[in-house]
Amino acid sequence: MIVAGIDIGSTWTKGVLFDVDTENDDVRIVKRSTLPTRIDNLSSSFVKVLREISGEADPFHLMQSGQMKLQYSSSAKGGLAVSAIGLVPEITLSIGKIAAQSAGARLAQVFSYHLTSQDLLTLEESSPDIILFAGGTDGGDSQYVLSNARKIAETSLNCDIIYAGNRSISDDVRDILKHKKLTVVENLLPNFNEPQPEPAQNAIREVFLKTIVKGKGLDEIERMTGGISPLPTPFVVLEFVRAIHKEVQGWEEFLMIDMGGATTDIYSVHKEVPAIGTILRGIYEPIIKRTVEGDLGMRVSAHATARVGASNAAYHRMEIEPEKLINYADSLINKPDFLPADQQSKNMDQMLAGICTGQACARHVGRWATMFTVEGEVKVQTGRDLTKLDKVIGTGGWLSRDSEFQPSSWFSDYTIDTRGQEILMPKHFNYYRDEESIFPLLANLAREYPKAAANAGVKLLVKS
Amino acid sequence: MTKTTIILGVIGNDCHAVGNKIIENSLMQAGINVVNLGVMVSQDEFIDAAIETGATAILVSSIYGHGEIDCEGLRGRCIERGLKDILLYVGGNLVIGKRDFEDIEKIFKKMGYDRVFPPSVDLSDVAKNLKQDIARLAS
Repeated sequence: MIVAGIDIGSTWTKGVLFDVDTENDDVRIVKRSTLPTRIDNLSSSFVKVLREISGEADPFHLMQSGQMKLQYSSSAKGGLAVSAIGLVPEITLSIGKIAAQSAGARLAQVFSYHLTSQDLLTLEESSPDIILFAGGTDGGDSQYVLSNARKIAETSLNCDIIYAGNRSISDDVRDILKHKKLTVVENLLPNFNEPQPEPAQNAIREVFLKTIVKGKGLDEIERMTGGISPLPTPFVVLEFVRAIHKEVQGWEEFLMIDMGGATTDIYSVHKEVPAIGTILRGIYEPIIKRTVEGDLGMRVSAHATARVGASNAAYHRMEIEPEKLINYADSLINKPDFLPADQQSKNMDQMLAGICTGQACARHVGRWATMFTVEGEVKVQTGRDLTKLDKVIGTGGWLSRDSEFQPSSWFSDYTIDTRGQEILMPKHFNYYRDEESIFPLLANLAREYPKAAANAGVKLLVKS
Repeated sequence: MTKTTIILGVIGNDCHAVGNKIIENSLMQAGINVVNLGVMVSQDEFIDAAIETGATAILVSSIYGHGEIDCEGLRGRCIERGLKDILLYVGGNLVIGKRDFEDIEKIFKKMGYDRVFPPSVDLSDVAKNLKQDIARLAS
């Protein structure tokens, strides 16, 4: 079967024509094309790419006659901004954050307990695409949630609001927010020890779909293709990670770094089985977890990344002074396409990439605090323990290109955090590069052919 | 009417897990909705869970002898964090050495616990007390 996969990014529109051997679950790349995205009209670059890869002036007739299938994704809006409101920061807010990020959204702000007038102003000013509103277990707290609902009702906010809080008061919330765009879904924490982020995640994805097709030419693409809808890129990539985990032997557990100009996204697949003598605390995490770091990126976010900074050892190793890195990063703000030519700039880029990958992973993984009890030493673990994970994938423009970069030397800068807790980063692992930068496109293919796409993805990785 | 929710856990660096499970089962059978946080629970974790679930009581266990240090200040912390009416129960081997239970009870009541139980307590009595106290609070 011939399948065209296209990903519409904010800078580039990329397409690949795949030949899928459905019997052997194998994929052959027939043709590739990459063109600059026209942000004001996404359909023009889309059609050009589709023409190039299919080799047809009218690629749509190939689809009508069933000779070619099409799957496409878009991240051209830069990800949907979600503001999460929970009750206790470590509980419902924490699950809300995981739900939003794993659904492919970017966290704009987070709020807990009672919303203050300042919080409401911040919300109105930033005008997120979605508010994820949670709090209370089913039959649990209603006071905070109802009071927050009344406050939201009085704002000028007209974005989508997803209520995933205490079910017992969902009718009241529906009534209070009836003049808003409200969707009520199941509670993300129906019982205290049983988080359930999926319904909220699905609702975010629905809004995502509805919102990204509006305007900018995506609705036109939908019409031209006979009603094929785009999916958000972060979402298809997450599902692709799931496909690799399910379909490829030896890849049941891994970590993937997707580093771009604006954000660094970390995906990990891991099932937590605490060792004897280790006590798990805090909220449960899903097997596939995604986190998005908005202050870590190679270009648009470089100024923030340089200010996050590295360890003294890293500055010393790279022979770069912190001020020089900040100056370099600040010079990149209006140059999203900048490619360094001289060695000094290359080193600076290397350093930025090291901070992005190291920091983003350190924030993604869990912690061990060692406690001494009457029964001896006990490790109290929060989050996931990835110390034994043996596979790390690098994807996204810079990581795909750079064959010298090794995340392990940067990971080892993050062993103990400021509170003296051990950071549970992968320690001994093989690093694989998505050299062809093809993961987002295979992710599109995976929507219909998960096994073939997953096999092809792993086969195309370059161990470095 | 919704069931009463209570928070249960073993406080501090105490990892005695067996008794904790027995208390959970016994109270559940008495028709109480138990949110069990397990072992090595900090004061703030008890309070976090109580806020989120709208619990009416926190049951603190301590077996390893450091109860006096671990339990001190929980009442104040509850008030600080907005749980002014919550019931606090404590039980177990609360102190080191042989001391009269009456003395121990006095110490912990002074800390703000509504009821204090020795390790030998019959759990059905705890359930009975809980229900009475909750009914009294509601009236």
